[in-house]
Amino acid sequence: MQFDSFTFVIFFAIALAIYNALRGWNARKWFLLSASYVFYSAWNPYFLILLAASTTLDFWIAQRIDRANDRRVRKLWISATLIVNLGVLALFKYNQFVLDNVAHALSLVGVQYVAPRFDIVLPIGISFYTFHSLSYCIDVYRRKFAPTRNWRDYALYVAFFPQLVAGPITRFTQMQPQIESPRETTRDGFSLGCALLILGLFEKSVLADSIFAPAADSFFNGVAKNGIAASWSGVLAFSGQIFCDFAGYSTCAIGTALAFGFRLPINFLFPYAAIGFSDFWRRWHISLSTWLRDYLYISLDGNRRGEFRTYVNLMLTMLIGGLWHGAAWTFVIWGGLHGLYLVVERAIREHVWKPAWVSRTSSFAYGIVTLFFVALAWVWFRSPDVVTAANAFSHLFSLEALAPLASFGATQKLALGTFFAVVCVQCVMRNRELTQDIQRVPRALLGIVLGILLALIVMSPGDNHAFIYFQF
Amino acid sequence: MPSSISSSDAHERRWWPTWLGCVIVAAGIVIGAEWYWRHAGYVPNVRDSPQLWSIQRDRVDRTRKIPLALLGASRIEFGIDMKLLRQLLPNYEPIMLAQNGRYPLAVLRDLADDENFRGTVLCDIEPTGLYKKYTDVQQPLVDYYRRQWSPSWHVHRLLLNAWQKHADVANSDFSVAAALVRLIAGDPPLRPDYFRFRTDRSGDIDYTRTDVEAAKNHFRELINRRGNLHADVEPDQWLADLEPVIEWTRRIEARGGHVIFYQSPTSGQVRVAEHVIHPPELYWNRFADRVPAALDGLANPALSAFVEPDDSHLDFRDKPAYTRALVDELVQRGWLQK
Repeated sequence: MQFDSFTFVIFFAIALAIYNALRGWNARKWFLLSASYVFYSAWNPYFLILLAASTTLDFWIAQRIDRANDRRVRKLWISATLIVNLGVLALFKYNQFVLDNVAHALSLVGVQYVAPRFDIVLPIGISFYTFHSLSYCIDVYRRKFAPTRNWRDYALYVAFFPQLVAGPITRFTQMQPQIESPRETTRDGFSLGCALLILGLFEKSVLADSIFAPAADSFFNGVAKNGIAASWSGVLAFSGQIFCDFAGYSTCAIGTALAFGFRLPINFLFPYAAIGFSDFWRRWHISLSTWLRDYLYISLDGNRRGEFRTYVNLMLTMLIGGLWHGAAWTFVIWGGLHGLYLVVERAIREHVWKPAWVSRTSSFAYGIVTLFFVALAWVWFRSPDVVTAANAFSHLFSLEALAPLASFGATQKLALGTFFAVVCVQCVMRNRELTQDIQRVPRALLGIVLGILLALIVMSPGDNHAFIYFQF
Repeated sequence: MPSSISSSDAHERRWWPTWLGCVIVAAGIVIGAEWYWRHAGYVPNVRDSPQLWSIQRDRVDRTRKIPLALLGASRIEFGIDMKLLRQLLPNYEPIMLAQNGRYPLAVLRDLADDENFRGTVLCDIEPTGLYKKYTDVQQPLVDYYRRQWSPSWHVHRLLLNAWQKHADVANSDFSVAAALVRLIAGDPPLRPDYFRFRTDRSGDIDYTRTDVEAAKNHFRELINRRGNLHADVEPDQWLADLEPVIEWTRRIEARGGHVIFYQSPTSGQVRVAEHVIHPPELYWNRFADRVPAALDGLANPALSAFVEPDDSHLDFRDKPAYTRALVDELVQRGWLQK
């Protein structure tokens, strides 16, 4: 079920009404879990079995890890959960990628092997709920907290519907106090939640789907025909689309949870106003970047083993982060580019650029540089294959494809203007907190703004585009 | 840096003025836009989509009658009177799976692959549509149905149908983004639709609401753009490429189903061009010899008597008589039972 569907409006209204009609907290939690499973099975009921089985297995393994005193036994259990969770993820998500690459590698040494095509449907949200489960088990293994003894509470943590299919990737420590103490819909929570829901839907339906997607699609679906102006407009349009699509989803998720009395962590913090690449990753898909930092980068010993090893760890983390997004070399290259950006930035900061030299002008210039290179990396993220990406990349700098500004079509001009506006808004909001600002706005003015956004959502019909991050 | 969104760190505020203002502004804008479009002569119209197609595809498996899957492109979509077809063939459940502007072989393949399908297929296609290179053009519909279609989208699309039937603003042509693009491009205002589309995916074309000569010229230009009147594929190669199509037909027939291939009649230059490019004796007739049921509407006096105003499609006023004539012909040949 997508947030931008009539079905969700009905589901949300019914779920909220029943949730608040129930008296006991246990009854409410059972209801929330059931509603979450209904929400998930609206896509494909068969994959609910996988979700429930994976939840139960990880719940049980976490108990085993906690009870074991022998370090080797604990290691055995954590290895088991890693193998099972990552194995399932690999089976559904990476099987074809691995087989195709094995076939290609064999062909290089003269062995002809045709990889079978399994055509396995990817269970929606599997990358997200696998990371939920893994962080829980790893934290229990690290003795950060004792596992919950209540299956329902753990299942609700994994499956809580606003964040189930595309995050934010929450930690058990963030959700446990909220799951264990009674909650209800408050006037503030409901209203702020609905305001965020409207804002998120505006980002998704109006900006991502109606304005950015047509310009981005027209570029990436016909790369070879594009001149330099159309290429840049396509890349910037996709930069706008991916932000508005994913941040829109996260905003909807946070708003929906808030209406039920739950707080989810912020996932985006005006990333296109970032000054530097490490700043970008503190603002973009925050729940994933912190997950990768805590469970991968730190597990690799982070920056504790000298400069060179730090660079290697950074690179590995970003490469794996890229691969998490999708089973294709384009995603690996996208991750690799961001790894490279981070390595170069860190090296320059440590050896060349002194913090004392930072001025407003240099910060502004570095912000532009950051946005430029982030946009360049999106070419690899969006392209269907490496050849198309390389082709698109070359068009961005090809003098042969040089075309005047007048060659922009109306769709491109609209997308570029909107992208410029989005970046300007992010620069203004860079150090502010959206929800606090919302609460400070005079209520009549807020009503007018929300009314305009709602009208624009209603007047932006079209085929429903799946949220881009659903495929991950 | 804030790490979470909180609703409790600010004291409770009165929200009703906000929501009252929101509803008044949103309703005012939407009603104002609707009034504007209605005043300019536009009427609400259902829009086709993979979701609308998927609702019909679901019916193929769920009907208790014999499913009569109508495959093809715009000619069958806008040429068959579905209500009348239901009355004329009470044992069948007519289901429109055609798609405007796309040839239907991918959907025929999908029905052949569906082991549960034992119904009847009426596949409207001309020799060009049987080219191998056009096999997959409707595949995105099948892919959507197989990979993304869900009960949740079904409910959504049913509600969207109701919304589109009653509101101009539910039409993507009138969206804010589309209006802005037209404004930036300096395009003229949209012309009101001259066709009506229904939720059963059939449609009516009313040629009194459009410039018929311009519509005719569209097809003339398509013919002229070819540069010559030669087929893209030589007859022997064309027929050899059709082996998979013949195999799909065989598989459906082997399960007790039926496949009827049928070429819609055309008029004027479109008809002349079709005959010159693909002479029936070299193309259609040879294909017809290889499959159990194939009807050439161009060669059938009862069907080719109809005049297509744009040389390609029927006016909606002719649909009932045409549907009747087609059913009579198919029943007479024993391919359908009344």
